[in-house]
Parts: sequence; structure tokens; C-alpha cells
Amino acid sequence: MDTFIQLTLNGLTLGSVYALIALGYSLVYGILKLLNFAHGDVFTVGSFIGFGALQLLGGSTDPVVPLWLLLVTITVAAMAGCAALGVVIERFAYRPLRDAPRIAPLISALGVSFFLAYSLQLLFGAEQRDYDAFSMGEGVLFFEGFDIGNVRVPLLRIVIIVSAFALMVMLWLLVNRTRTGKAMKATSYDREAAAMMGIDIDRVIVFAFVLGSALAGAAGVLFALRAPTFASLGFIIGLKGFTAAVIGGIGSIPGAMAGGLILGFAEAYTQGYVSTRWSDLFVFVILIAFMVFRPQGLFGKADIRKV
Amino acid sequence: MKKRGWVVAGLASIFAAALASTAGAGSSQTSALQAVDCDGTIKLPLITPLTGGGGPIGQEQMTWAKYAAKTLGSKYRLNVQIVGGDTPVEKGGGEAIKVSQKFIADQQVAAVLGPATSGGVASASKALTKAGLVHISPSATDTSLAAGPKAKRSATASFFRVVGGDYVQGPTDARYMIQKLKVKKVVVVDFQEPYSVGLARAANATLKAAGVTTVRLSTSVNTTDFSSLVTRVPNDAQVVFFPTQQPEDAQTFGQQLLEQGKRAKMFGGDGTNNPSAFKLAGSYVSNFAPDISSVPGNAARIAGWKKDNPKASLGSFGPPTYLATEVAMAAIRRACDAGNGTIANRNAVLKYVRSVVVPRSILGGTFRFAKVNNEPVNPKFYIFQIQKNGSYKLVG
Repeated sequence: MDTFIQLTLNGLTLGSVYALIALGYSLVYGILKLLNFAHGDVFTVGSFIGFGALQLLGGSTDPVVPLWLLLVTITVAAMAGCAALGVVIERFAYRPLRDAPRIAPLISALGVSFFLAYSLQLLFGAEQRDYDAFSMGEGVLFFEGFDIGNVRVPLLRIVIIVSAFALMVMLWLLVNRTRTGKAMKATSYDREAAAMMGIDIDRVIVFAFVLGSALAGAAGVLFALRAPTFASLGFIIGLKGFTAAVIGGIGSIPGAMAGGLILGFAEAYTQGYVSTRWSDLFVFVILIAFMVFRPQGLFGKADIRKV
Repeated sequence: MKKRGWVVAGLASIFAAALASTAGAGSSQTSALQAVDCDGTIKLPLITPLTGGGGPIGQEQMTWAKYAAKTLGSKYRLNVQIVGGDTPVEKGGGEAIKVSQKFIADQQVAAVLGPATSGGVASASKALTKAGLVHISPSATDTSLAAGPKAKRSATASFFRVVGGDYVQGPTDARYMIQKLKVKKVVVVDFQEPYSVGLARAANATLKAAGVTTVRLSTSVNTTDFSSLVTRVPNDAQVVFFPTQQPEDAQTFGQQLLEQGKRAKMFGGDGTNNPSAFKLAGSYVSNFAPDISSVPGNAARIAGWKKDNPKASLGSFGPPTYLATEVAMAAIRRACDAGNGTIANRNAVLKYVRSVVVPRSILGGTFRFAKVNNEPVNPKFYIFQIQKNGSYKLVG
């Protein structure tokens, strides 16, 4: 039972990060029908910005601000930096191709992905960067928390899971309870009709990139609090975020959340009960199975076209 | 039907072109080298991961190779230019073939340093040998490359290494666990790439032979969050043997062990030997090089290297690279002397490598190759324990 609880905790931690990344894919796809393959690299940029902010604030062992403020500041810095990056990417890599055939922005997205990964490597080197959360507050993030049976739920995992869910709830409220959110939904249903109704499409699209990229930035920091980050990390994490989005139904916000969690649990249980060797394979088998048997995902709607 | 025919024809052309390029690669024989003027600049490539997760290792090796080329130039009367060939660990060993082809075609290349990784050597050794290029690795330790029956070796006769193989490292580590740590249960993790699998197997065999219970875990080299692997570590395991080429991963795994309340100590191989990245107090690491700062005569070398690389910290992958560079330069010098100032054929360098002797080597003592397997005579591995201040203390 302890093993099950621990694996569930592992899956929840990982899945909540995947969900944040998947939300970025879904937001952009929902509005532009574009698979933004640079999204994983925006995640990496976020983790690097967080690392830089951490160093500016004195590092993990000797921060100049209290621990809670340190965590909030590096997360907000990463979100802000990535939001700005999202605006730049949309403006220069996607907007000029908005009316081009769908393959063009897809290729542009791949180009942006490589550009970001290699730029990070050139600017900051190839070495892994460790936030050293273990040393923050003299180990409080790892050794404080509460127990479920014999399993310790450390403060760091609580911080990650609660932060991720808080961001998801905020996004849900923003999309469903604000005028901008309604404009986003309208644009995703029918861009031309939305424009005719007076919605500023450019603004809505930029806002989707801002939101998605900010979530990726937050995910970058939350992930890097537990594992080292490096320039090429975004490729595999981005693929997993994309898989989560597909599982949930790309374009669907609740679907992205559910897909992320399902993927996190699948990875954790496979590693724990089946084989550590095959977990990545299993994850991508799930992706293929969904593409074949339920391409619209769990929460997506089947794409019915008038013929 | 016509369209289909074009597709088939296109595929056939691609297939034929691929075959042709493979054949071309295989035929780059020793004759491809024009005579190299020993008074000119001789290129010495270092094939190593310069980017990606293993990038810091390669960068460290590069600084020492360049330092050796610079400081030993007058001794060997050579103007050697070190050039990098990047083989990111994440791209697998096959990347070394692509990089090697570039150097095989370069007329100024008479020898190669590396490939640094075992996977890289296994992939590229045949092509390098066909081109007559001796390749001297400072860090590829997989047993099957150079040891064991000749017919089963995955590297060719022109592969040399200046450090011992995992058949020395694995048992050395395992014996330390058995004799000093008195282990009864050990978790052995591998990362599904030749270095890691080879070392894990070698240690596992010695542990099992001594009656130690081992639990084998295996994961992808791309894994970054090890939580669920850690969950599988039994509570009564005393050691986790973790041969990775990315020391930060060992640090993360160790921290996640503590997070989940596991008491096992981390024990890494030479790939984790990096005091700035793997600093979990109480853990162990092994390495093919001793602490070179304690080797007589190294103070000036280290000071000179630090002057050239003020931001770099002294690691364990650099010094063997310095030695490999010195071995290559010594062999090139002898080939030059034999050829009256020119190297007519790459095989000339290969011919002299085997008999190179480096007295007062950077790794301590006199260095020479064993005749049987192109490895150092009496290779040794050393065990360090990480102290509370993050320093590595030699314990075995």
C-alpha cells in the first residue's frame, strides 16, 4: 500500500507539471489550430529564468528574502519572462504565416524550438543547472510535510501540486468568467465570425500565447525544483506535454489537465509496477493508441466536416 | 500507378545513395592521407560530448587537451591544433560515426583523441581504423572495447585508452562495497547506454559472486525525475550503484532517496566524479584517476591550466585527456622523425603509439600500454567518499 501511495504521489507531482505544459499546447491549438512545438523549449527558458532569478536573490543556501518569497519571485519571474517570449514568438514566427498552409507554421515552430534550445546552449553552456532546493531553508522543502501511512508528503511536492492546481483553476476562471476568456472561446469556435463580431483577433491570439507561455514558465520552475534543467530538456518534456494534450483532447482545457495527470500516473505506475525500462515506451504507446482509436482525446469533440 | 512508380523510384534512389555513401565511407583507406608536413599545423580532433547533458565533461576534456597541445608543443616540436567533434550523449553512440567521417576526410588529421564515450568508440572504431587513424580515448571504459577475447572486442586494434576498463572499475567498486561497506543488498541502476550497462554488469557480477543480493533497475538516459525508481529501492538496500555520465542525476537521485526516507548510500562511477555537481555527503564515487593534485610534479601543470581556465574547476576527466594528448603527440613526433619531417601515412602514427612511454605522467608514475590489449599496464581505479563540505576524500 505504501508503494501505491508513493507512486500516486509521484504521478501527481509529475502529472501536474505535464498538465501545465499541456495547457499551453491546448490554448494555442484551440485558437490557431497550430501545434506549437517550441512550447517545450519555452518551458526550458522558464526554468533557466527561474535559475537566474534564484542566483540574483542569493542562491538556494543564502537567499536575501524569505523562502516563500524566493519561490514566488522566481516563479513570477519565469512566468513574466516566458510570457514576453511567447509574444515575441507569436509576432515574428507565427503571425506572418497565419494565412499560409498549415505546414508552414508547423515548420516555423520546429525552427523556433531548435533556435531556443541552441541559443540557450550557446549563451549558457551545456551543463545542467540544479536549483538545489535540497539546501533551501536547510532542507525544509524535503523533510517537512505530513505523512500518509508510512509515506512522507514533503513540502516541496505540496508546493508543486498546489501551485499547479492553483494556476489551472485561475486559468479556468479566466477563460470561463472573463470577457477576454469568452473572446478566446469565440475565436476558437470560429475566428472569422468572432472578428466580424468585433473581437480583436490579434489581441486574443497574443493573449493565448502569453497565457500558455506563462504556464510553461511556471512549469519550468516547478519541474526544476526537483530535477536539474539543461538546454535540451524541453524536447522530451515538451513531447510529454503534447502527449498529455492529445490524451485529454487537444484544444480542451479540462482535457489538458486530465491528460497531464493521466500521463503522470501512467509513467509512475509503469515505473513502479511494470518496468523502469519501458516507461517512456509505454507513454508513447498511449499516444499512438489515442491517435488511432480516439484522436479527439478524452474531452475533445470529434471533428465532423460537411462533405 | 504512375505516381506510385515515381515514389518507388525515389525510394530506390535514396536507398542506392545511402548504400553508395556507406561504401564510400568504408573505402576511406590510409592512402587517403597526403603526406603531412610536421613543421606545419597538425590537427588533433577530440571526439567528445561538447553539448547536451555530458557537455561539461567534454568541455573539461577540451580545456586539458588544448592545454597539453600548448604546453607540450615545444617538447615534441609540434604545432598541434585541437579541434572538437561534438557527440552529445543524448544522440547515442552513432553520432561519433558522423563526426569521425569529417576527420577521416581531413588531410591534416593524423590521429584522434576519443571518442570519449564507450558508445562512441563502439560505433566509430571500425571507420577510424579503415582510415588508418589511431584513436586514443581518455575516458571510454566499457570492458568489451579492448578487453576479453579478441574476436569479441567491439573496438578495433587501432583503439587505445589511457584509463582502465570497467572490468577493473566494476569489480573495484563492488569489492569496496563488499569489504569496506559490508553490503548485503545493493540496487544496481543502468541508463541503457554502453558505458552504464557495461559498468553495471561488471559490478553486479562481482556482487552476486560474493553472495550479495542485487536489485537491477534500468532507465532511459533522458530520465530526469527519478521518484518512481527511488520508490523501487528496497528500504533495506545499503547502496545504490549508479553509473551515469551525468553527475547531476546522481545528486538528484540521492536527494530523492533521502526525500523518500531511504537509507541507501549512493555509489557512482567515474562519470559521476564531479565535485561541483555530485556533492551529497556520505556518497561514494570511483575514478580512473587519482586526485592529481597529490601527484608529485603536478602543481605547475595545474597552476598553468587554472591560469588558462580561471572559471573551470579541477575535475577527473581532464587529466587523462592531457595524457592521451601527450601520447598522441609523442607518437606523431616519432612518426615525423621516422619520415624525415613528414608523416607519409596514418599507419605510421599507429605504429609508434604502442611503444610510447610517458615518464612522470600526469596521473602519476610512468605510463605505457600493455601489449595484450592497448590499455595501460596495471590499470587502477580509485574510490572517493564525498565529505560534508563537498570535497572528495580518497578512501580506497
